[in-house]
Amino acid sequence: MISISRKYRLVLQLCVGLLLIALPYLLGNQYFVRIATMIGIYVVLASSLNLIIGFTGMYSLGHGAFYGIGAYASAILSLSLHWPFWVTMPLAGLFTAMVGAFLGLATLRLRQTFLVFGTLAFGEIVRILIMNWNSLTRGPMGIPGIPVPSLFGFSFKNFSNYYYLVLVFAALVVFLIARLYRSRVGRAWVAIREDEVAASTMGVPVFGYKVLAFTISCLFTGLAGAFYGHFVRYISADQFGMNESFLILTMVALGGTGSIIGPVIGAVILMLIPELFRFLAQYRSVLYGAILILVIVVKPEGLAGVKGLFVPPSGTARFHFRKQKIDSAAEGQAGGGAA
Amino acid sequence: MFTQQLVNGITEGSLFALIAISFSLVWGLLKLVNFAMGEIYMFGAYAGWIVVSYITPNLFLALLAGFAVGWGLGWIVEKVAFKALRGVPHIASLVCTIGFSFLFKEIAAAIFGAQTKAMPSFYSSTALVVAGANVSWLQIFMVALAAAMMLLLQLLFYGTKIGLGVRAVALDYRTAGLMGIKVDRVTSIAFSLSGALAAFVGVLAAIYYNAINPYMGFVPGIKGFTAAVFGGITSIPGAILGGYLLGIIENMSVQFVSSGYKDFVSYLLLIVFLLFRPNGILGKKAKL
Repeated sequence: MISISRKYRLVLQLCVGLLLIALPYLLGNQYFVRIATMIGIYVVLASSLNLIIGFTGMYSLGHGAFYGIGAYASAILSLSLHWPFWVTMPLAGLFTAMVGAFLGLATLRLRQTFLVFGTLAFGEIVRILIMNWNSLTRGPMGIPGIPVPSLFGFSFKNFSNYYYLVLVFAALVVFLIARLYRSRVGRAWVAIREDEVAASTMGVPVFGYKVLAFTISCLFTGLAGAFYGHFVRYISADQFGMNESFLILTMVALGGTGSIIGPVIGAVILMLIPELFRFLAQYRSVLYGAILILVIVVKPEGLAGVKGLFVPPSGTARFHFRKQKIDSAAEGQAGGGAA
Repeated sequence: MFTQQLVNGITEGSLFALIAISFSLVWGLLKLVNFAMGEIYMFGAYAGWIVVSYITPNLFLALLAGFAVGWGLGWIVEKVAFKALRGVPHIASLVCTIGFSFLFKEIAAAIFGAQTKAMPSFYSSTALVVAGANVSWLQIFMVALAAAMMLLLQLLFYGTKIGLGVRAVALDYRTAGLMGIKVDRVTSIAFSLSGALAAFVGVLAAIYYNAINPYMGFVPGIKGFTAAVFGGITSIPGAILGGYLLGIIENMSVQFVSSGYKDFVSYLLLIVFLLFRPNGILGKKAKL
C-alpha cells in the first residue's frame, strides 16, 4: 500500500471529500450522476463483502441474493403498507441481517470450498423463490413504481439529490467498517483469518465472531439493496443473480481483500471501465473474468490489500510456493512474461 | 406420467452422474473443486454443434470434438488455476476457477452470441413404450453410452499404469512422488480427463435438449457438484449413484410439486447434505 505521511493524508482526504461533494456540479450530465450514485451503492456492497472475505477469510457467493432480499423487502413494505423509506430501509436491512444470521448459523461450520457452494445454492434458492412467489413478488414481472424517498417535503427524485443521499450512506458504512476493523471485534476477526486454531486457543469464540461478521455484512448489503430499489424504482429477480455476486467478489479481489480503501477502489474501477471503454461494452464481462484470474494469479492481495491472505501459513507449502515463484520469475525473464 | 418422469430422470441422471465423476476425480486428486466445469460442458456443447452443423452430421465425431475441446480447456484451467497456485490456500484456486467460469461464459457469448441456438436431434424416434412411457432411441443411447463411459473409466483406473498413478497420487501425493510417479503429469492428465468428460456430457445434453446457449453450463455444473456431494464426493461409485438419484428426484419433483421449483429441489438437497451429511451416501468418512 502507498504510504503517505499523516499530514498529507489529511489533505488528500479533504480533497477527495470536496471532490465527491462537488461531483454533481462537475459532471453536469444526469447520466454521469446516475453512474456516480451506482458506484456509491457498489462501494457499500464491496465493502460489506470485504467484511467477511478480508476480515474473516470466508467467501460468499450469495451476496447478490442478500442485495435482492434488501431491495425486495423495502419495495414490498413501501408499496403495500405505504411506509416511508426511512422506516422500510432499516427494516429491510434488519430483515436481510436476520436471514444472513440464520444462513450463517447453519453454514459457517463448513469449510471454505463448501461454504462457497452453500451460499451459492442459497442465492439461487432466493432467486427461484422470487421468480415463483407471484403473490408477494410478482414473479418474473418484477416490481415497478417504487416510491422515491423524501425527507420533510424534500424529494430525492433528482439524481443529484439521490447522489448525496447515497454518498452519505456509503461514507457512513465505510467509516463504520473502518471503526469496526480497529476495534476489539475487528482484531478478533483478523485473528480468525490469520489462524483459526490459534485464535480459538487464545479464547476467541470463532464461530460467534464469524456469524457476527456475516450478519453485519448482510445488514449493509440489505441496506444497499433498499437504496438501489428506491433509486432505480424497478426491480426484478434477474438483477440479483449470480452475476451480481460475482461482480462484487471481483471488486473486492481487485481492490484488495482486508483493506478499507481496497473495495472502494475496486468498485470505482470496475464500474468506470465499462463507461470509459464504451466500444468494449460487449466484452465487459470477459474483462471481469480475466481481471479476477489475473489478480488471483499475479497479485493475490489486490491493488491495496493487506498481504497475507493467500500466503501459505507454514512449512513445506511455503517452500513450494517460494520455489514456484522463483521458477515462474525465471521463466518470465526467459520467455518474456509469465502466463 | 410417473414412469415417463422416471425414464427422463434416469436419462438426465446419467448426465449428472458423468459430471459428478468429473468433480470427484478432481476432488480425489487435489481436494479441490473446479467451478468452471459447467462452462467446459458448455464449450463441449458448442464444439459438438459446430461439427454437426458445419462439418458433418456425425454424432460420434461431435462427441469426439467435445471430448477434445474439454481436454484442452481442462488442461488450461489446471495450468493456471491449480499448478500456478500450488501451495496457496485452496480457496485461491476456487476463486480463480470462478473467474474462469465467467471468462468462458462471456467468451462464448462474445463469439457465438448470447441467443439460444438449435441443435439438430438424433435418434429421436420412439424405441419402445414401457408402461405408457415413451422411451426414445436417444435416451437408450445416452444411458448406454454413459454406462460404457463409466466402465471405460473403471478400466482406466484399475487396469492401466496411468490409472495406478492417479490412484497413488490421490492416496498420498508425496509418497507417490517419492516412488517415482510424475505427480504433475498424472494430475494434469486426470484434470484434463475430467474436463473432457464434462464437455462430452455437454454434447450429449445439447442433443437431448436440442438447444445450446452460453449460459447453459451454470445449472448442470452446480447440479453435477450436488450429485457428487449427494452420493459422496470422495467416491466415484457414490458420484454415479448421486447422479442417478438426483436426476430421478428432480424429475419426480416436476411431477409432484411444480416445474418452476425443479432446480430449487437440487439446491435444497445440496445445502441439506452439506450441513447434515457432508460425506454423502457412500462417501468415506473425511473431514470436509
